Amino acid sequence: MRLPDFTLARPRSLAEATELANDPRARIIAGGTDLVPNLRRGLEAPRTVVSLERLPELRKIEPYEGGLRIGACVPLARILEQAQLPAALREAAQSVGAPGHRNAGTIGGNLCLDTRCLYYNQSAEWRASHGYCLKRGGDICHVAPKGKVCRAAFSGDLAPALLALDARVEIAGPKNALGVKPLQDIYRDDGAHALTLAPGEIVAAILVPSANLRSGYAKARSRGAIDFPLAGVAMALALSRDKVKTLRVALTGTNSCPILLKGTEELVGRAADDALGSAISKLVQKQAKPLRTTIGAADYRRQVAAVLARRLLARLTHGDKQ
Amino acid sequence: MKLAGRGTPLVDGVEKVSGRARFTADLVVPGMLAGEILRSPHAHAQIVRIDTSRARALPGVRAVLTGEDCNVPYGVLPIAQNEYPLARERVRFWGEPVAAVAADDEKTARAALALIQVEYRTLPAYFSAQEALKPDAVLLHDDKKGNIEREVSHDFGDLEAGFKAADLVREAEFHYAEVTHAQMEPDAALAEYDPVRNRLTLQSVTQVPYYVHLTLAQCLGMQPADIRIIKPYVGGGFGHRTECLNIEIIAALLARAARGAVRVELSREQTFVLHHGRPETDVRLKIGLKKNGEITAVDAHCIQRGGAYASYGIITILYAGALLHALYRVPAARYRGLRVYSNTPPCGPQRGHGSVDMRHAFESLLESMGKELGLDSFALRRANLISPPYRTVNDLQVNSCGLPECLDKVEQASRWKERRGKLGRGRGLGMACSHYVSGAAKTVHWTGEPAATINLRLDFDGSVTLLTGAADIGQGSSTLLAMVVAEVLEIGLERIRVVAGDSALTPKDNGAFSSRISLMAGNAALQAAQALKQQLKADVSWDEAVRDALAKGGPITTRGTFYVPPELQGGKFRGGAVGPSPAYSYAAQVVEVAVDEETGEVKVEKVWVAHDCGFAINPLAVEGQIHGAVWMGMGQALGEATRYDAPHGLPANANFLDYRFPTMAESPPIEAYIVEARDPVGPFGAKEASEASLAGFLPALTAAIEEAVGVRLQDLPATPERILAELNKPKAKARATA
Repeated sequence: MRLPDFTLARPRSLAEATELANDPRARIIAGGTDLVPNLRRGLEAPRTVVSLERLPELRKIEPYEGGLRIGACVPLARILEQAQLPAALREAAQSVGAPGHRNAGTIGGNLCLDTRCLYYNQSAEWRASHGYCLKRGGDICHVAPKGKVCRAAFSGDLAPALLALDARVEIAGPKNALGVKPLQDIYRDDGAHALTLAPGEIVAAILVPSANLRSGYAKARSRGAIDFPLAGVAMALALSRDKVKTLRVALTGTNSCPILLKGTEELVGRAADDALGSAISKLVQKQAKPLRTTIGAADYRRQVAAVLARRLLARLTHGDKQ
Repeated sequence: MKLAGRGTPLVDGVEKVSGRARFTADLVVPGMLAGEILRSPHAHAQIVRIDTSRARALPGVRAVLTGEDCNVPYGVLPIAQNEYPLARERVRFWGEPVAAVAADDEKTARAALALIQVEYRTLPAYFSAQEALKPDAVLLHDDKKGNIEREVSHDFGDLEAGFKAADLVREAEFHYAEVTHAQMEPDAALAEYDPVRNRLTLQSVTQVPYYVHLTLAQCLGMQPADIRIIKPYVGGGFGHRTECLNIEIIAALLARAARGAVRVELSREQTFVLHHGRPETDVRLKIGLKKNGEITAVDAHCIQRGGAYASYGIITILYAGALLHALYRVPAARYRGLRVYSNTPPCGPQRGHGSVDMRHAFESLLESMGKELGLDSFALRRANLISPPYRTVNDLQVNSCGLPECLDKVEQASRWKERRGKLGRGRGLGMACSHYVSGAAKTVHWTGEPAATINLRLDFDGSVTLLTGAADIGQGSSTLLAMVVAEVLEIGLERIRVVAGDSALTPKDNGAFSSRISLMAGNAALQAAQALKQQLKADVSWDEAVRDALAKGGPITTRGTFYVPPELQGGKFRGGAVGPSPAYSYAAQVVEVAVDEETGEVKVEKVWVAHDCGFAINPLAVEGQIHGAVWMGMGQALGEATRYDAPHGLPANANFLDYRFPTMAESPPIEAYIVEARDPVGPFGAKEASEASLAGFLPALTAAIEEAVGVRLQDLPATPERILAELNKPKAKARATA
């Protein structure tokens, strides 16, 4: 399958990039590991593809307010080498694709990954035969035909890690606008429009706060490499005298956007024991909403997400209990 | 022996690892047009009308073809040819070619496809054998009642007496998902037509250039002499390319219509839909055993969902029955096989052709019966060993069998006796055996010609050119043939040039399938080398010997052939031509797993596998083939399964992301042991080396899973969700705690 025709723009400044991208038919490319296969399948027909390759300022990792500022075009392979970065982020980066994907793919690209679905990530002929869907060209969701919203699954690995770490993102916009917002604000629960970014808005950097947290990421997948998550769970945790002081858990692969688990604040003050693991597990079971968006069975993805969450807690608190 | 028996890098390895090797999609000729194919959007429909006028009118379009342009059916079996390169009147699976365009470039060709209007009238479509077999089902092919392609009914020995003599009789049902080859190289073909001389040259991804040659002559109504087939480098086949592919015919038809050269390249999805892989299979099996484990009788029923066209279907359903034999002594057996048409891509041969699913069922049932009798897995197999020469009840002649040594090797290497049953909850060891043919004794196109022919040319430069039609598709056959010749002539491998797979230069060969080349072409190479050696003076240097020989009559060409001895050609009964082989290879393996009971994930920790290949002419290649076979078995066992969804029969996972074969991350350490029970018919005793090790993996894995967590899988693949579902059944819970 050949790429469709488009104009490739390679701006030399972020301002130029946001101007070029300020067009509903423009698409931004960083590593290209997500966009290129989608272009080949005819899922996108952009007029302009704006490459961020000539913007070295987007490839920096630097100290920022006691934490770190990670440029959006830092490749995943570099993330997982940085010992000063929180474990959840490194583990999430390590779990993406295969070495080739991690060399090319970037942190910003992974956050802006297109949602995926068995009825969407198919060839043009396939989709024409089956009938189009809410995500592209149709008016029905094939995985939830009664609903009015696309249920394609968000499958980025880094978003849950950064949500659990309470990260914020710097958004560059047209006319030199620059804003900072919590990461979850760039997502909405709609598989067809999972990103809230307007045309011309580009994720420029990720701000990871300093916090003395234990964190980790666990991913269920069919195979040890290549695969997107059937379910992914990230957790960040602080204990004080064996009691939970801070707890944030986030999920990916199960819903149309990455979600920060609700209800964990009510677990603050509890002992980090098996009962806590079960409580988190229950929250996951309730809030994870996998549907038939992939080859793996939906119910299995929910079950396994709950198991991963419980195990992740045990891993992060291992050695504290006697 | 100096060279044979030594691990030798492949003669074409440098080209492959350096990227210089040119595969079909790399080939470019001046003025080459792009060929594109319009495919059926329905699983089953009547073609009411096709209007190609707008496509023909598009500038840059050089040819537009439909089913009207070729009314000659084809198919690999002369008795079952019911497929057309472009569908006529009816389409029977999603993605079946309906029309084809050749244009100046791909973009124009695709634009032309969009201008072709096809009116369909949809018909009921069947995605399982059970649906297709229903009495009121619409027939896919009017002459095939009940949608049955072939019903096999074979009875050997006294079944009733066998079961009567048994101390334990058990029956079980099994189900296997359809799997496909997933070879690295997507399909492609380049056809060049010379309108002045009416000659055609085709280069393609084929495993069997000879079948492509015959089929093109038939479908294009051309003299075989006017056709030339060249096999470039080929990126794997595993059976996918054993018969002529529809795109090879379409490329040729387009080239002739456009009076030029046309290249057709398929996407991965289209390659998946070309399929010809292992069918979805249901097995019902009954075995009788004596207390000591001796098999007294076997009753096997098999239903295969064959897909829309005949392909190799008859052979596959026959193999599933025939290879119940020749691994163990089976004194009596009944086999009932049903090959069914369905609205899915045609199935065909896939590595371990016909034997794999049935072998899993057989080994699994045997294993559970052994448990009931209190017999160790190895002891049970040893109670049933063949000692050659041995003729099975279905007339297969076994002249060598290294299975006893294979069993010893893996039993010791895995420390089975010390470790089996003692690994703790969540871990397990399982074992199984398997076997395969070294080429089919009778080919599907029976001509009376030798099974293989090799020519050797010796000229003034002192090099030997080995001419063979045998297709090297990555398995290393060209290297093996060169090694045989070098061994006989006592020269270095660098003196030999292999020219393989060009019908203008190389003698006809039946191609790369049924693991036939090592034994058959190997013997022909041996004979050709011996014939050449006879013309060379002994006890002088190679250069002197060459000068002397050529002075007597110029450059020399010799021929070596191989015929399958009549006593190895099997029985005279209907279907008796499938199963007989000059020699059988054997394998035993032990698989160790760790199973996560909360996620259902299975990790293969280690595999010990011993393969009796008679004699390893190139042990390096043999080891690679054993690894590949184990790995492919692992794919089918753990995760691979095609899926076609109603109502259109769309392939749900026709890509390498969603069709889940293992990656390097899952590849376990594989300890491969080469066992050499030399066969009297094989060249230096050599037999098959790439298929026997596949089938045993599946039952060894499920036995290991059972030991680990008490779940007995009779449905494959063993996906985490299936294992978790089994674990959550009350029965499994009870077994686990017992």
